Amino acid sequence: MKRYVLGALAGVIAITGALVVLWPRTVEAQPHLAESAQLRFVLTPASTKSGVNAFDLRITDREGNPAPGDEVVVEPAMPQMGHAIAPLTAGPLEPGHYRVGDVGLFMAGQWEITVSLSAERVVIPLLLT
Amino acid sequence: MKRSGAILLLVLGAILGIVAPALADGAQAGADIHVAQTLGDRDLTVIIRRVAEVPGPVHVDVVTHAGSPPGEITLTARAAGAATSSAKVVLGDKAGFYSGVVRVDRGGPWELAVDEATIPFVVPALVPSPWENATYGGFIAAGVLLFVALLFAVSGRPGLALVPTAGVVAAVAVAATAALLSPSIPPVAAPGTQLDPTFDNVNDPYQRTSTVDFSRPPVNLVPSMRGEDLVLSLTDGSSGRPVDDLLVHDSAFIHLVVVSPAGNLRHLHPIRTAPGEYRARLQAPEQGTHAIAAEIARRGGGVQLLRSSVDVSGVAAKPNDGTAGLVKEIREVGRPSTITADLGKRDLQPWLGMLGHMIVVGPVTDGPVNAPIWAHVHSMIPPTPGLPDQPDESVAAYGPKVPFTYSFPLPGKYLVWIQVERDYSVVTVPTVVEVPVKGVAGK
Repeated sequence: MKRYVLGALAGVIAITGALVVLWPRTVEAQPHLAESAQLRFVLTPASTKSGVNAFDLRITDREGNPAPGDEVVVEPAMPQMGHAIAPLTAGPLEPGHYRVGDVGLFMAGQWEITVSLSAERVVIPLLLT
Repeated sequence: MKRSGAILLLVLGAILGIVAPALADGAQAGADIHVAQTLGDRDLTVIIRRVAEVPGPVHVDVVTHAGSPPGEITLTARAAGAATSSAKVVLGDKAGFYSGVVRVDRGGPWELAVDEATIPFVVPALVPSPWENATYGGFIAAGVLLFVALLFAVSGRPGLALVPTAGVVAAVAVAATAALLSPSIPPVAAPGTQLDPTFDNVNDPYQRTSTVDFSRPPVNLVPSMRGEDLVLSLTDGSSGRPVDDLLVHDSAFIHLVVVSPAGNLRHLHPIRTAPGEYRARLQAPEQGTHAIAAEIARRGGGVQLLRSSVDVSGVAAKPNDGTAGLVKEIREVGRPSTITADLGKRDLQPWLGMLGHMIVVGPVTDGPVNAPIWAHVHSMIPPTPGLPDQPDESVAAYGPKVPFTYSFPLPGKYLVWIQVERDYSVVTVPTVVEVPVKGVAGK
């Protein structure tokens, strides 16, 4: 009897181990941080899949206070394909917090998102699957 | 005894059931090759369909465009040491698809001749990869060993059966490891795109080479006029030898843009007539010095832009006469500007694999020959999930809005042309853009 229990236990451990190793993983939408001379930009994409996307942007100065500014410009480009899409602009939801919706990133691969607020510019790489 | 027999059959059935569907994925498929060709007075797109089996037929579609004269062309497939196969294709009055079939009898580098134009292409050989062999070999060995083990067990020698049983475990381990790791094994350098194709490397593509940098030297372009034809001579920038390794990129070997002194544009696709020699007809040319720019991609990577100029004797000026609603949002130097053409109806066809092309030449002060910036911007067709091949010109379902985004690097006046295809005819819409140093210029 004890042997059967041990055998079943070993089987369960083997199957759990295999599932942990082989389970397909999706890339989580992580916040991306980039800093310019004065400001700190944190961009969080709504998705890491190609298609229509949306960006949540938090822009602060180096001390963490919301950055002043009335319009953020987002310029997506795909250097590998030699292709850029039209820039998008958005006003703040609250000081230092912006939301850019309806970004048509229709192709999977490495994108470069240039974000600028007044004269400060950063380039944020974004990998879409 | 009966029970062991039944178990044996069930186990063998299960193993074969695993192996059988996997075999169907073994065949590697290439893709269709689309090549635009300015062949005499005709603008053709030659589509070499993917070769399914060797020896076997190669289906070739020749797409004619509006204004293309009817007539007959000869398709010839040839390779060193192989029998030549020809087919005649009769081109009708109507623009569209005309098909021919030639035969190839082996994998390797081939050449398709369309009258005097020659198109080198690679017929891939169906060679199973080493990891496929390990996977299938492992499963087959496991099946055979399992059968041997059962035979020993049934014949009353269970001790001896342990040996092939251990073999089953080892074979399944090999097969499973090869199958699981195969997606992460880096691909070998492809003959045709990275290596010069030969019969040997096409038929044995898994031979690894020590080369890691496949890039090649730059190219020198010398244009000249021979009768009505513009002849381009391409030589290697390091050895001076003819350059005969151009890849098909964006559906052509060379994208040749010719701008006349009066500012009229032609976008041609010269045919390969000899190693390092390409030719395109300039119909009804203008008198004067024409600015030319050729986009090429050499085997091994990277696209180059070769600029030059050529003196042409002629009389007639043939202005670009396409029209479209244009919305221009021109930003200051270095920031992305957008130009959107509205072509009215949703019936645009892909041209050179793209929805639209925008050629930018400027800033112009004393003619296009001396313009410092020369750009070719694309408006892409959104990829369709599940369709690996690009749609061909028979799909007239795109548009009507064709957007372009380009960051003009210098202030000043630019000549801009937007090109799309409709009804098998290329529409060229000319316009002029003024780029400010600061601020946004309106529409």
